[in-house]
Amino acid sequence: MVKAIFVNEGIEIEVPLGTTIMEAARLCEVYLESPCNGTGTCGKCEVSVNDEIVLACETELLIDTEIHTLMNQAQNRSLQILSSGRSFQYDLKPMFDSGYGLVVDIGTTTLVVSLVNLTTGEEEASESLLNPQAQYAQDVLSRIQLAGEGDSLDTLYFALTDALNDVLMRLSAEIGISNDDIKDAVYSGNTTMLHLAVRKDPTSLGKYPYTPALTGGRYQEADSLRIGGDIYLPPFISAFVGADITSGILASGLSHTAETTLFIDIGTNGEMVLAMNGELVATSTAAGPAFEGMNISQGMRASKGAIDRFQFNDDGTFIYSTINNAPAVGICGSGLLDAIGELVRVGIIGKTGRFSDKSKEFHITENVAITQNDIRQLQLAKGAVRTGIDAMLMARNISPDDIERVEIAGSFGYHLKESSLLDLKMLPESFRGKVSFVGNTSHSGGAALLLNTDLRAQMEKVVKSVQAIELADDDDFQKMFINSLGF
Amino acid sequence: MTREQELHQALSDAVLDMDEDLTEELAKKVIEEGFDAYAAIDAGLADGMERAGVLFEDGEYFVPELILCADAMYRALDVLKPHIKVEEQAVKPRAIIGVVEGDTHDIGKNLVRIMTEAGGFEIIDIGRDVPPNVFIDRAIEENAEIIMISTLMTTTMTNMAKVIELLNERGLRDKFKVMVGGGPISQAYADRIGADGYSKNAAEAVRLAKSLLGMEVAK
Repeated sequence: MVKAIFVNEGIEIEVPLGTTIMEAARLCEVYLESPCNGTGTCGKCEVSVNDEIVLACETELLIDTEIHTLMNQAQNRSLQILSSGRSFQYDLKPMFDSGYGLVVDIGTTTLVVSLVNLTTGEEEASESLLNPQAQYAQDVLSRIQLAGEGDSLDTLYFALTDALNDVLMRLSAEIGISNDDIKDAVYSGNTTMLHLAVRKDPTSLGKYPYTPALTGGRYQEADSLRIGGDIYLPPFISAFVGADITSGILASGLSHTAETTLFIDIGTNGEMVLAMNGELVATSTAAGPAFEGMNISQGMRASKGAIDRFQFNDDGTFIYSTINNAPAVGICGSGLLDAIGELVRVGIIGKTGRFSDKSKEFHITENVAITQNDIRQLQLAKGAVRTGIDAMLMARNISPDDIERVEIAGSFGYHLKESSLLDLKMLPESFRGKVSFVGNTSHSGGAALLLNTDLRAQMEKVVKSVQAIELADDDDFQKMFINSLGF
Repeated sequence: MTREQELHQALSDAVLDMDEDLTEELAKKVIEEGFDAYAAIDAGLADGMERAGVLFEDGEYFVPELILCADAMYRALDVLKPHIKVEEQAVKPRAIIGVVEGDTHDIGKNLVRIMTEAGGFEIIDIGRDVPPNVFIDRAIEENAEIIMISTLMTTTMTNMAKVIELLNERGLRDKFKVMVGGGPISQAYADRIGADGYSKNAAEAVRLAKSLLGMEVAK
């Protein structure tokens, strides 16, 4: 056995010889970023050992070792979470006339938990937190992979329910109810998160033909979640277009809007729905983790010290802001989009994505720069989103000009600017003036499903009618993708 | 510089400049003026693609430019190919390329195919969602020297290891070089599963393939 000593945390643990620093950290609940789940590719689990920076996932402990976690690791715990989203008027038709209901938006990274009074329809208590599963495997695919190994499915399941039970204890105490008063619950989230939340093996989602092992639009026993009723799982469209999008369709009224509307949730997977004359087309596109600041040289999530806004003034100087106004330590997705969008607008980055003067990087501060490779990573991510949009327009045989309304959902989208998205050509120019940011519609739509049970049946019907497009099956996909990479 | 060398240089430049009309025109000149088609491909087109690969690795070119360079190369190749002398054919090293079982993302694989073809390999593309045994069976059938395996997804990367395990089980490991690549793959992963090499992009893949076969690698 050897000792792993996490100096900053003041935690020591004895582990078998050859254990990696990452494994040791998990055993004693020291939080390390591991978006790639220890494959050694993302570089985000860097720690300092003997004044040398090493990857925690690749470094095996052979002697007693003092490990210093880095500042970025700690700061990622202070993530910004968006809890509210656009909603609409609906009648109160809860499953029970009295008592409380629970809505949980289960994001891959974050959770938003709310207790709602079923009699009044008021949200009386709410809390946002990191999804505890993210410390085991950050992105969706890594989590699917992990869930298939040994008893990890249970680990992930109990990590979530334990965290939710803790939150429920606090929230119930806050409004003076007992857990038995929580008679109904809705889980909203992507397809993988719903599998994990009900202890269902998601392995089949991670390989072609990407078939869910679970059907949505059903009730599930609460099992280890301490509430006095069952959990409703909203219907979902496919492995990659989940219940969070179903909630979004509901909250945005996509199934009955007269306007031709494009709804996009921008993230690691860009999920989108095109609504036209009451008919819906949906797709998802593998944007990769660049929007979350991963695989970006100085990328970080949207937490303290991240550059989140950037703008050039007319005189060629620029201004930026950081989260919590802290000294800049890195750049998050919205900052990256803003900065590259602005650099394109003023011509410092050319149409092909190359720095016009062939420089290697652009410094925002002395410590934080955008590199040529960062631009390439962003091009791939935004190109994937644009390809999804173009594919859906093509499926309905319409042009970008025909889109009357564009709604960007999700907490990442909420921090974006229309102008950046247009400058980057992530969105077609003709979307100018039509874009609105609708926030966490996974949560607001989930709340609607809690408070009006008619909407559950209605959405089950809507989801059945959605035409899902699988982009990789499209012969033109590669050509469209390559054409969408430029600025 | 001889007239032939001038044409080779012009072909190489035209590929690099993504000018497909010009490469076609130059290829026709090569034939009209009685020069060797194979030499024009090797010293002109392949050279241009190699230079494009270098620019790609330097961050100067990106995927769209690489594809346009390849388009320019293929236009000239269509003109030159019918004129390659028989004795010059079939000297290319052969490789199998495919995306692992369970994965349908193939843009990365297609890029590697384009670049390695341009680099002088004969590439047999066996598509996507390919079962581990099929990689091996096809490699034997096609008399390939390299098996190139690609995946974009963390969830399917273990199937790369399976190909190598099966090669070992079937006693064929030393018959083939195995190259891996794709979004979630790293050199560390390639080492762990016992692959012969990993390349992080399509341009690097050409150099890797050449060095694995002990061919001369230009810098």
